[in-house]
Amino acid sequence: MVAGSVPARAPGWANLGMDIVSAQRVRQMVADHGESFLLRMLTQQELADCRTDEGLNLLTVCGRIAAKEAAFKTLRVADRILPWLDIEVHRADGGWPLIELRGRAAQLAQDAGIEGITVSISHDVDYAVAVGAPVLSTGN
Amino acid sequence: MSAELQQVKNWILKRHPERQDIAGDLDLIENRLIDSLSFVEFVFLLEQTSGRTIDMESLEVDHLRTLNIIEARFFGVTVH
Repeated sequence: MVAGSVPARAPGWANLGMDIVSAQRVRQMVADHGESFLLRMLTQQELADCRTDEGLNLLTVCGRIAAKEAAFKTLRVADRILPWLDIEVHRADGGWPLIELRGRAAQLAQDAGIEGITVSISHDVDYAVAVGAPVLSTGN
Repeated sequence: MSAELQQVKNWILKRHPERQDIAGDLDLIENRLIDSLSFVEFVFLLEQTSGRTIDMESLEVDHLRTLNIIEARFFGVTVH
């Protein structure tokens, strides 16, 4: 059976999402528009979480952006704009990321039979990547 | 083509120097001229050039799919 032919909500199947973000592109974005431009993609809390005593950690920003993209991709919705601020990435006590869905993102997830999304983020040198996996609602 | 749309077109061309031109009916999304990351900047550009705030809640990908659609929707020009 070809995985791509399986319906998104078929029993036992979960659609992964993955994304990669170039720090060079985000660096240019910040240079062009300022750090506040990032608030179009990150919440105030997320941006605060990306700061260290040396200032904004750009790779952490990229990781947050990649995580949101990866999470959104698990929803398998066509022609919809990523509701950036409705997908929030938190940092758990253990250091791993947690995804909170709100508003339109929560509605899209509910429509897709998804009750949550788990993500993993990694970064090195000038790229951040993230992979997301949905937690299917009971009965899916 | 309006001056505002020319600005938009120039913005895309600057990011895709391999292209000489962009047809008005070319699908910007399918042809990967705008990806998800640049989409955020693209909306910001449209806000600057049109002078109005774009409601992300009601914005759909189809509203930004071609230059013709963008011109009609954001710069008040109907393309026939």
